[in-house]
Amino acid sequence: MDGFSHLSCGSLQLLQTPCFPFADAAVAMGDSDAEPAPGEASQPQGSPPLDVISEGVGELGLVIDPEVAKRACQEVLEKVRQIHGGVSEEEEPELVNGVTDNTAPPPEISEEEVALAGPRNTVKSARRRQKNNSAKQSWLLRLFESKLFDISMAISYLYNSKEPGVQAYIGNRLFSFRHDEVDSYLPQLLNMYIHMDEDVGDAIKPYVVYRCRQSINFSLQCAWLLGAFSSDMHISTQRHSRGTKLRKVILSDELKPAQRRRELLPPVGPGAEHSLSPSKRTHQRSKSDATASTSLSSNLKRTASNPKVENQDESSVSQELTSSTDRLDNIGSSPVRLAPQREFIQSLMGIGKRLATLPTKEQKTQRLVSELSLLNHKLPARVWLPTAGFDHHVVRVPHTQAVVLNSKDKVREGEGGSFQLITIHPQVHFNRRLIYVEVLECGDCGITHEQRASSFTSVRCEAWSVETRELQLPEIHTNSCDNISQFSVDSITSQESKEPVFIAAGDIRRRLSEQLAHTPNTFKRDPEDPSAVALKEPWQEKVGRIREGSPYGHIPNWRLLSVIVKCGDDLRQELLAFQVLKQLLSIWEQERVPLWIKPYKILVISSDSGMIEPVVNAVSIHQVKKQSQLSLLDYFLQEHGNYTTEAFLTAQRNFVQSCAGYCLVCYLLQVKDRHNGNILLDSEGHIIHIDFGFILSSSPRNLGFETSAFKLTSEFVDVMGVLDGDVSDCSHLPCFHGSSTVRNLKERFHMNLPEEQLQVLVEQMVDGSMRSITTKLYDGFQYLTNGIM
Amino acid sequence: MAQVEKKAGLLRKSSASKKPLKEKVVLMYEEIFVREDPAKNNPRFWEELFLMKVNLEYLEGKLESLDGDELMKVKDNINSLFQHCIQALGEEHQIKVVNALQTLCALFRGVHQKNKSTSGFDIINMLMGFDKAELRMKDLMESLDTLLCGDGSESLKSLCLKLLLCLVTVTDNISQNTILEYVMINSIFEAILQILSSSSSRRQHGYDTVVLLALLSVNPYIVKLSIVDDETTLNGKGLVISQALSEYNRQYKDKEEENQGGFFSTLTTMVGSMFIADAEEKISVQTNEAILLALYEAVHLNRNFITVLAQSHPEIDLVTTPSAPVPTTPTAPLGTAPPSVDVMSSTELPLDPNLQTSNLLITFLKYSSIVMQDTKDEHRLNSAKLCLIILTCIAEDQYANAFLHDDNMNFRVNLHRMPMRHRKKGADKNIPSRPLVCAVLDLMVEFIVTHMMKEFPMDLYIRCVQVVHKLICYQKKCRVRLHYTWRELWSALINLVKFLMSNETVLLTKYNIFHLALLVINLFNMFITYGDTFLPTPSSYDELYYEIVRMHQVFDNLYCMVLRLSTNAGQWKEAASKVTLALVNIRAIINHFNPKIESYAAVNHISQLSEEQVLEVVRSNYDTLTLKLQDGLDQYERYSEQPKEAAFFKELVRSISLNVRKNVSLNTLSQDVLLKEFSSIS
Repeated sequence: MDGFSHLSCGSLQLLQTPCFPFADAAVAMGDSDAEPAPGEASQPQGSPPLDVISEGVGELGLVIDPEVAKRACQEVLEKVRQIHGGVSEEEEPELVNGVTDNTAPPPEISEEEVALAGPRNTVKSARRRQKNNSAKQSWLLRLFESKLFDISMAISYLYNSKEPGVQAYIGNRLFSFRHDEVDSYLPQLLNMYIHMDEDVGDAIKPYVVYRCRQSINFSLQCAWLLGAFSSDMHISTQRHSRGTKLRKVILSDELKPAQRRRELLPPVGPGAEHSLSPSKRTHQRSKSDATASTSLSSNLKRTASNPKVENQDESSVSQELTSSTDRLDNIGSSPVRLAPQREFIQSLMGIGKRLATLPTKEQKTQRLVSELSLLNHKLPARVWLPTAGFDHHVVRVPHTQAVVLNSKDKVREGEGGSFQLITIHPQVHFNRRLIYVEVLECGDCGITHEQRASSFTSVRCEAWSVETRELQLPEIHTNSCDNISQFSVDSITSQESKEPVFIAAGDIRRRLSEQLAHTPNTFKRDPEDPSAVALKEPWQEKVGRIREGSPYGHIPNWRLLSVIVKCGDDLRQELLAFQVLKQLLSIWEQERVPLWIKPYKILVISSDSGMIEPVVNAVSIHQVKKQSQLSLLDYFLQEHGNYTTEAFLTAQRNFVQSCAGYCLVCYLLQVKDRHNGNILLDSEGHIIHIDFGFILSSSPRNLGFETSAFKLTSEFVDVMGVLDGDVSDCSHLPCFHGSSTVRNLKERFHMNLPEEQLQVLVEQMVDGSMRSITTKLYDGFQYLTNGIM
Repeated sequence: MAQVEKKAGLLRKSSASKKPLKEKVVLMYEEIFVREDPAKNNPRFWEELFLMKVNLEYLEGKLESLDGDELMKVKDNINSLFQHCIQALGEEHQIKVVNALQTLCALFRGVHQKNKSTSGFDIINMLMGFDKAELRMKDLMESLDTLLCGDGSESLKSLCLKLLLCLVTVTDNISQNTILEYVMINSIFEAILQILSSSSSRRQHGYDTVVLLALLSVNPYIVKLSIVDDETTLNGKGLVISQALSEYNRQYKDKEEENQGGFFSTLTTMVGSMFIADAEEKISVQTNEAILLALYEAVHLNRNFITVLAQSHPEIDLVTTPSAPVPTTPTAPLGTAPPSVDVMSSTELPLDPNLQTSNLLITFLKYSSIVMQDTKDEHRLNSAKLCLIILTCIAEDQYANAFLHDDNMNFRVNLHRMPMRHRKKGADKNIPSRPLVCAVLDLMVEFIVTHMMKEFPMDLYIRCVQVVHKLICYQKKCRVRLHYTWRELWSALINLVKFLMSNETVLLTKYNIFHLALLVINLFNMFITYGDTFLPTPSSYDELYYEIVRMHQVFDNLYCMVLRLSTNAGQWKEAASKVTLALVNIRAIINHFNPKIESYAAVNHISQLSEEQVLEVVRSNYDTLTLKLQDGLDQYERYSEQPKEAAFFKELVRSISLNVRKNVSLNTLSQDVLLKEFSSIS
């Protein structure tokens, strides 16, 4: 919740919406602070911040001794004062006042609140009075010191506070938060660093530098984000240079760990491991790797083509090991910290840029495959996919598996009587590719860093020698009786029986048609849409298949990852959407609302490129309908079984939950461009919305056409399997559960309706959307939209 | 430019003999061919000699003209010339190095030509002296190694390679080449490989390097070659081969278009088709067996190379700039000349949207389709055979099969198809993009259809059918359901059997046609009994039956013949009886469905059943048909070079070696250009 508000604030800043009043953002901030109160105890919502702070502290009285807290606050204050050359006592109240002023809700809101939360009223006014109290600054400090003070609050105060002391304090506090917590607000943090004034920048910088020293991954992410956020600003060159300057410093690799890295480092997020290892291999395999290292004697043994290859291989591996460590020692003095990964990412992006010039999808696919095969020459290397959740090194790209995804402008949708719009973006040529990457997980393999540094060469040569070229029979995913009959034929043939074996021609024919019938859920290959087949294949099957074909597949910590590389599109909004979705998800989890959404990770590399974590086992509804030529409901029946089966019911429930979740998301974020190409359907029945290119105030340029609150077509409703009358119930139920959430957010939209009214509204919206009657709610809706615009 | 240079050289040669005035270098050569030590009167003799432009014709001619005894008399001087050559290789002065290299070439060649006529003549003794031989060759190889690996002039490297080519090809039969043993002891293998791994040197010397490696690998270098796993090197090799092959394809296409664009288009198609056969012969571009041999060795020996086959290289060479001095290329009559330099160094625009991404395998398939269409002359027959052997190796390799069948790697492969009267050319312009194995199968079908002629290429047919068999075995094993129009293959195979039957008497005098017939019938047996594991649709299984029943006459005839021969006690008894046994299922199918179809026609009063009606009968009568499962249908003998193919490769290497020798001499002569380059520098 709180995070959400911060994000929205950040987002607005990020979007640089000029007309957004500062105070509104502050209101959001204030709201957010209300949230983290412990327990399920229904907190008064939407009250001004200081109320809640005091309330929170009051509740925490048992936990935090007020006296202790007070003392601590005073100490901190003292510190702050010292740091900033003695901020005078007179200024202190202003600090708080400043906050209060900023966060003071516009009059009509406060009135609403008075109306709304009657009982709270008195408390509030009491607190209003408190504001003028001489001790008021201590409230803020007590908040800062309290356990409730979390990263989202820190970010919001950093953003709102005009006071250098507070900013500096928060800057210092950043060090005390968990790394992954801060990481999730990194875009906001860096955005502030770039766009806000000197003091904020100064407050943030030490932390960023500290983290950059620790982790290559962090350094690169910072550099990419800084680049992306700086790219479109022309506010002032002086500030502009601040972001770019930091970026340069990071990229110039000046922020190396000062001491032995290993001692210095606590285990941190993904990628940090990489910075630990004492030596780096650049992405480009060095010449010595390629030629000299392979001592001929070991090679000779390896190709002796006898079954004992592996034994002999050990010796060659050990030789490799020593030779490579020797070599690495030589270059160890000046390891290149960031270069390999940057090169890797750059080459991925470069491929995308080159592909953009090719006209047909077929050419693109061929080109992509060949380019990736060239990339393979430089692997394995000390590079990783930043979207993955664990430490790993990329060892190989199964280039033949890569597919070019549907460009947005290629997806044409018109069927289904839905109201969504075809969007055509004339200016950008979207270019998305799905690439699979084989990696070796290195989180738990327990080898020392030295070993790992050299393990590439050994892995490499091992990989090629172990390969026996004898393929296993692929697992047959048919039912068991079929397997048995198949097996019987095979086993009979292998017997050297003199007795002639007879089989019925009818059996052969039957087996053929049965086997084909058993794989109906594979899509047919379509040269115009090569991604459909690749996406439809169940992820586990794909992993198994690729593992089998990979020279590294036998290594236990082998993993397969996939990534969408996107060029020519701005992913910063996607990143924001990801943050919001994640926040929503955690709120729903906390509130035990059975809504399902799938936030997918975004990596912004520049303002027009990035990487997306693909949703596995999911194809777009467009593809589903095109390939299966069925209605969504029939497709569900085909995939999951009959109405009454457990599988179908589960899938249906998943569908409903995800549908409801995304309806809320779409409504809250005003997600536009909701055509079926942008909605995925996974193998469990969930729908997943992708492409948050048009959220909040932005919409496809054509028109403000998508006026309904969210996408809910009759086809969707069919899958939900209820009659018209019940639909609202069905959709409403989860909404109702989450009403507090909804309401909160609605308040942000200046929607001041009591619960009953809200309920009615939700029902109305569900109804309205379903019947795609765009006019009914349009007026009211316009108001809402204006509210956020 | 190169041409002019060469002509000048040739002219000089003819006029030089008339001129009474001798070059200084010739005078110095003459001094060598007397018994006295030339350095006795002139202590700087050797130094001066290597500053002089080499007259290869004279030197080689002189060595040739002397017989063994005469040469023995000047052995000391020749030894010392050889020794000084090697010394000069280490000189700073590049002119000296160039001259020394060329002199060495002339020495090796001149002495070896002697060797041919006089047996027992010991070249090594002649050149280096027995006691010094090892040391001298070691020095030579080390110098060559340094030159090849160094940053020196590319022309020098090129000369080094020429010298090596010279060395390797001095004898017709490489196994008789005694000097080569020293080359083996002092390996310069790594130096040669290194050329392939860097793109700039590959562009200039890649061709020579690959040919050299191809020739060298009939001996201990095989082991080394088979374990190369450096991808850049292997890719480099693949690139050189691919460029050479695609250059051939391009030349062929150009000629073809030339011919078609000329008067043929103006003639009526009827008249035109009469001339097509002639035109085809005119079009024929010389095949390049050396490159094919290199490809074969790479595919056969080095399992790591298989990946290179599928490697497409859109811009692997973009980084380098076109180099200044390019080795001259004579128009080679025998097909061993490197492809013209502009192709080798062309900075192909990789972003050309019309340019299909290709890979070595596609290029090779296209090349094969051209080469295999005409198997009349021996070179082409050999090339076609080699192509099929390479395909055999590919079809056996699991990894190669994996990418051949990869559904994700689709390509349009425009195979060359022979113009034939009954089929329109160019109708197949818009081939769908399919997995590569479809192109291989197309190529095989094409071969089967187009070579039923009096000069029946039995060996090629057997290889061809075996390739198909191996591919199907893979599909069966891995359950790959290829969407291929199998019907084309079936009808091609049935037509082949038909051809065998109708030419039985002629063919039986030359070949064991039953071997081929057995292979074909067993292919059908694969489809009949294992069709459920790899056929794409149930209806394709019906079509198989339809095709068999439709062409039952062919199988009936075959059965009659093999039955007749297997009951006689003739030489074909055993072979024929095998075919009889193999036919059991096909006969069962025919005997089962024919009466059913006839009765269906009778009941419905239809004289001619449509295909759909027959298929209907087939579909409804499966259950009463019992088939016999045959053993070992999905097993095959793996390809091995020894001992079956040994003779073929020996002869092939011999002919390549002859060609290379002829061409190297020309190349070496035209190094005048290079000499000029250096003299202008110094």
